[in-house]
Amino acid sequence: MTSRTPTVCPYCAVGCGFYITPNGVEYMQDHPVNEGSLCPKGNVAPDVLNHVERLRYPMMRTGDGWIRVSWSEALDRVAEEMPRALREKGPKALAFLGSAKCTNEENYTFQKIARLMGTNSIDNSARRCHSPTIIALRRMLGTPAMTNPISDLALSDCIFVIGSNLAENHPVVARWILRAKDRGAAVIVADPRVTPTAWLADLHLQLNPGTDIALINGMINVILGEGLEDRSFIRERTRGFEELDVSDYTPERVSSITGLSAADIVRAARLYAKAGASSIVYCMGITQHSCGTENVTACANLALICGQVGRPGTGILPLRGQNNVQGACDMGALADFYPGWRSVDDSGAIDELRRLWNARSLPLGRGLTADMMPDADLRFLYVMGEDIVNSHPAVARRRERLKRGFVVVQDIFLTDTAKLADLVLPAAAWAEKEGTFTSTERRVQWVSRAREPPGDARPDLWILSEVAARLGFDLPHDPEEVLAEINQAVPAYGGICRMNAGRRGGIIWPCPHPDHPGTPVLHTERFSTPDGRARITPVHHPAPERTSPEHPMILITGRVVLHYNSGSMTMRSEGLVKREPELHVDVHPDDAVRFGVADGDTVMIETRWGRARARAKLTPGQKRGTLFMPFHFPETNLVASELLDEKSMMPELKVAACRIWRAD
Amino acid sequence: MKEILVRPERCVGCRSCEIACAVEHSQSRDLFKALSEMPQKRLYVEHVPEHSLAVPMLCRHCEDAPCVGVCPTGALTQDSLTGVVRHNRDLCIGCWTCASVCTYGVIGRDRRARAAIKCDRCPDREIPACVAACPTRALIYGEVEEVSGARRAASALKLAQGVAASSR
Ligand code: SF4
Ligand code: SF4
Ligand code: SF4
Repeated sequence: MTSRTPTVCPYCAVGCGFYITPNGVEYMQDHPVNEGSLCPKGNVAPDVLNHVERLRYPMMRTGDGWIRVSWSEALDRVAEEMPRALREKGPKALAFLGSAKCTNEENYTFQKIARLMGTNSIDNSARRCHSPTIIALRRMLGTPAMTNPISDLALSDCIFVIGSNLAENHPVVARWILRAKDRGAAVIVADPRVTPTAWLADLHLQLNPGTDIALINGMINVILGEGLEDRSFIRERTRGFEELDVSDYTPERVSSITGLSAADIVRAARLYAKAGASSIVYCMGITQHSCGTENVTACANLALICGQVGRPGTGILPLRGQNNVQGACDMGALADFYPGWRSVDDSGAIDELRRLWNARSLPLGRGLTADMMPDADLRFLYVMGEDIVNSHPAVARRRERLKRGFVVVQDIFLTDTAKLADLVLPAAAWAEKEGTFTSTERRVQWVSRAREPPGDARPDLWILSEVAARLGFDLPHDPEEVLAEINQAVPAYGGICRMNAGRRGGIIWPCPHPDHPGTPVLHTERFSTPDGRARITPVHHPAPERTSPEHPMILITGRVVLHYNSGSMTMRSEGLVKREPELHVDVHPDDAVRFGVADGDTVMIETRWGRARARAKLTPGQKRGTLFMPFHFPETNLVASELLDEKSMMPELKVAACRIWRAD
Repeated sequence: MKEILVRPERCVGCRSCEIACAVEHSQSRDLFKALSEMPQKRLYVEHVPEHSLAVPMLCRHCEDAPCVGVCPTGALTQDSLTGVVRHNRDLCIGCWTCASVCTYGVIGRDRRARAAIKCDRCPDREIPACVAACPTRALIYGEVEEVSGARRAASALKLAQGVAASSR
């Protein structure tokens, strides 16, 4: 093995580059995103590779235990159960869950198998982080992705961060914001909590949870009232402005909804609208709501009326969670989209794929989304690299339901979901295989193989192509060959190859043909809607989750710097676990007095959906009347709300009325 | 001589520096083995909630370092050229005297080896591990004069902006 192999961090979607050496990590000083440095998770990324708990052999369930089986037995079994379910109950009885941590080539192949089997019930974890982004930005701007690269933030004069604690979750992004600040840029952070991101702010708007639309509409009200909007941009490049009526959202009224002072709302509006180049950064604090799609819409409205899109330093920057969320969605591992963002309702667009795939017919209409799968009457569920039990609300109920059909789980660890499976397939981790990942800024990077997978573990693509072969589909098992097919199926990836994606920093899509340099800034001349104009779309403040005498507090969920999602990887990294071993709940000292809770007490938190045990941490930066719990611990998902955003099927994970008491 | 300087106003408390330091000082320099070794970090990101700040604290390698002066066995020495304060484990008796005089509280204790543990400014690296890891450049490695010069210029710019704004 060579001494060092360039790779891309497998955790968040920032897409930091580094080298893997036989000893661990070496920094890549000339990477365009992170310039060498890494956050704690990146620093310990190779931890998971040789971990003792890695799955090494295919395993089949026998009653309560497991037996080790050969690959051919395991693959034959998948190829038996899948068609059997199809014969007995039709395509509706099959469901597939792809992975935002697997490569583009793997997700592409996975969704292709699902569709060739006749179902659109294929989804990935993007459902729970950015499906509202997909729906809203696709409709309004034409392209459901970040408009500008992260490094563009350094060129902004005003950065409006809403619903994102990037300093903890995407620390490398803070680097570029600080560079803007050095140039004199203003930073506005809207967050109910005083997070490390709020420390960076010149103006911190500590709004009530779930009142983002009111805040943004309030800012738009001020902007229109003072004539700060960009008239010519609105006239030439947008539609729908006439319908945007925010006259109800006076600073005074918005003040009563959000709990902010009217003066701060006015100040934020002026800062954003008057700056030469302003950008909006948001994350799951915006999307993970039952009004998630409207929240994103509101952000885009603000950018559009001020003409803050399509130039360096402007734009709308959704920070994606997992390393390949963007890619998994571009590849069509979604219940509502085929590869290349072809809607499942658009038979014309799908026809091209039908020819490319040599398929007789392809399914139409939305399939089951990730959150609907456990409740559906399934006979066969194939889960690739996803811990659905821990990362979804209502863990307990899901555990029961998932057991009803044949469940295959393909993963690197025996996750809680894998424990429920009938068949477990050991997969290779990111650095043990090859293929491309697409970061949150649309940067496609080729990852080379740096190590051998442990035991008999195999790359997901190998497993999938073997399953496909047994089903009678001849699909390539070489990532380069799959990428060549993606070139045809996904227009934005038309010119992406191993060569340009393998360069330092890869290439940013759209890259329609092989000589194209990539497109860091979108929408410079026209939007990617059919007529080239963006759609301004009015939205209104919804009825929020209310507190009651029984549930007097509001629970907010989010992340902490040392852990990542369900923790299936970080909880196995001793360097991280040692520093953040158990679930805590942040409580404002005044609330702690009110409920008789002291620092370090074990407490119970109860919502309408469930209860969880945690250790209380008195935190002055917590907003009074709210509690905060990190969601990397399974308990948090016991209490998260199950309300859904009808448009994107996003669950309301951020806001739930709750009560807290000391558990002795 | 180059120093590690801290810009607390830029620190977001992500603790990348702590992890990078611990890995750099694992015996094997090997992450996989380092974990069973439980390597210890030599800098401490102190959270100051009252002021919403995190401040990375590490050995300043003081001129005429007090820890060196009080060390009874000569385990601590200071390089006359670079000013780096070094610690020799073999001579260390774990008496804790150095820690009691350190103004910044950055001398730790390795309980198993019963020895003091402190920043050695990563002798094997061109740029110290913590500095290389920091995503926000809250830690910088440079000549004091250079850094102060840059900071003076930045402050002057802010002042000038203020004057210009008020005279407009
Ligand atoms: S910021 Fe994201 S991509 Fe970069 S090192 Fe941290 S987890 Fe990895
Ligand atoms: S210079 Fe080296 S030893 Fe000192 S704190 Fe930084 S990483 Fe640790
Ligand atoms: S790595 Fe930098 S930002 Fe992170 S805690 Fe250390 S000094 Fe602060």
